[in-house]
Amino acid sequence: MIGFSIFGIAVNAIRANKLRSSLTLLGIVFGMVSIMTIISALEGMTNSIKAEIGRLGPSTFMVAKMMITTSREDYFKKIKRKSIDLKSADLITNECNLCEKVSPRTFAQARIKYGSEYIRDGRIMAGTYNLIDIIDIEVAQGRFHSMEDDLHRSQVVLIGDGVKEKLFSGIDPIGKTLRVGSKKYTIIGIAKKLGPMFGQERDNFVVMPLSTYGAHFGQTRRGLNIVIKALSVEKLEDAMDEVRLLLRSQRGVAYDEEDDFDMMTADIFLELLNSITRVFRIALIGVSSISIVVGGIVVMNVMMVAVSERTREIGIRKAIGAKRRHILLQFLFESLILTSSGGLVGMVIGHLLAKFLVGMIDMNISPSALAIIAGLSISMGTGLVFGIYPALKAAKLDPIKALSFE
Amino acid sequence: MALIETKDIWRTYDMGHEKVHALRGVSIVIEKGEYVAIMGPSGSGKSTLMNLIGCLDTPSKGEYYLNSKAVNTLDDNELANIRNREIGFVFQTFNLLPRATSLHNVELPLIYNGTSTQERIVKAKEALAKVDLADRITHKPNELSGGERQRVAIARALVNNPSLILADEPTGNLDSKTSEEIMKLFDRLHSQGNTIITVTHEQSVASHAHRIISLFDGAVASDKRIN
Repeated sequence: MIGFSIFGIAVNAIRANKLRSSLTLLGIVFGMVSIMTIISALEGMTNSIKAEIGRLGPSTFMVAKMMITTSREDYFKKIKRKSIDLKSADLITNECNLCEKVSPRTFAQARIKYGSEYIRDGRIMAGTYNLIDIIDIEVAQGRFHSMEDDLHRSQVVLIGDGVKEKLFSGIDPIGKTLRVGSKKYTIIGIAKKLGPMFGQERDNFVVMPLSTYGAHFGQTRRGLNIVIKALSVEKLEDAMDEVRLLLRSQRGVAYDEEDDFDMMTADIFLELLNSITRVFRIALIGVSSISIVVGGIVVMNVMMVAVSERTREIGIRKAIGAKRRHILLQFLFESLILTSSGGLVGMVIGHLLAKFLVGMIDMNISPSALAIIAGLSISMGTGLVFGIYPALKAAKLDPIKALSFE
Repeated sequence: MALIETKDIWRTYDMGHEKVHALRGVSIVIEKGEYVAIMGPSGSGKSTLMNLIGCLDTPSKGEYYLNSKAVNTLDDNELANIRNREIGFVFQTFNLLPRATSLHNVELPLIYNGTSTQERIVKAKEALAKVDLADRITHKPNELSGGERQRVAIARALVNNPSLILADEPTGNLDSKTSEEIMKLFDRLHSQGNTIITVTHEQSVASHAHRIISLFDGAVASDKRIN
């Protein structure tokens, strides 16, 4: 009850000094904006990446000569590795008991042209007929290439939604012939739209049989990348071990040497991503926290001024029966109200700013409960830490001296 | 038992290299319902004595009983409690909160003993009516005359029904006509049964009291009943 009344006194004191209060608030607002922008943007990016990787499926893994390098040395070591080729893919297809589906694939870039329209840097993905069952591309219309297409090196392609939009506005692309590089291909299917990520258009692609690609473009230097779906999520680890053993023996890796290829699941990738970005995230949040500290110092400074300005008021309150804790509470409430309202304003602005920034790279974010709780506790904590000293100073004033203060 | 009883109280200020004795063994007894003036030249210790009686300070030595409670043994919180419930201060400079209305100024003591909002408003209005300011409740101090301000301060002192009204030079900042009004108000409050102690160096103010205690050099020089 007394607490409520004292809270009211604190609110009135803030309202009586509107300009000063809002200037004080600004420090906290700026600090909060920088923290929230960074937290929200980081979270939004991580979530998008997670969602993207999650699409690979929980029982799927990839094998390649090299997938992620963590340093220059790592890169130069891995670049010398032997490529993964069709023989490896065949071996896994034939020998791996825990693998349900295996598809070797490769990527390239080329001009995709229909009539007078073209996409300059279209992506080519080449794989076997079962690739469609493993990766996240879905057929929206038409079909994916079949085992027969693989055998006969059919000149057929499935096109991405972006290719349809750019080259075939108003025309049904199925059955039409387009050019990829210098060769002609018949369109047999259209993929479902993926949408852009990090400002990168992801729908400007064509998928063709790997055999056709090999005949027209030759094998790439980087070799193949094999995507494998295990029989089940539970058998994922065992399937990976099986593939590992097969590849090691095929490639002649001695028992005491490490793998000369990379294997990756969605989880491993996420973990790696997290560990790479962790230091970066902590550093960013640390740097932006400095501004909150500056905001806190501003609050402390203003509260010190308020205490000495209102010494007489404190004396009056004490003379008529306010206890130390009442005065302490009054000034603590003031700094808490300042910092938490500054925090709230900052959080809203920060979130909007993050939304804007992240929106520029085609991602969406929503405020997470964690960010809101963290933001509120940071701003309240700032109020407490930087408000306690001035409040204690006020509470400890001697009423006689305070009353005679001019 | 008496309302106020001090037994050989001393108040010594330690100024580093020397000790200053503001009070040197003051023993007085004041009964409930008395109207007492404490007089003396500056430096005689009358302000120190008032601070001690008002529980704003505690004696360095000696005992002080207020309503049979030994004040010299109390801690900060208990002293605040006594100031809140037993004592109503009236200061020379009024000491009102400048941004608050009369009503808020008067209800202030009630906030600190947890009185509910409705009861606070009722009691504060009552107290303002007692000092004839029922029509000034929404005015702020700078919208009131000096005499009105002092009456708001008196209403604030009365609002908790204290055992004692302690006035420190209550007319020091007022002209003689307004002073006379305020002193009449004190007379009226006294006749209604309030115990009043005023600290003053003005004879005209002291003459309203029924007893004058004179201090000199931190000790009681004389203690006379008048009227």
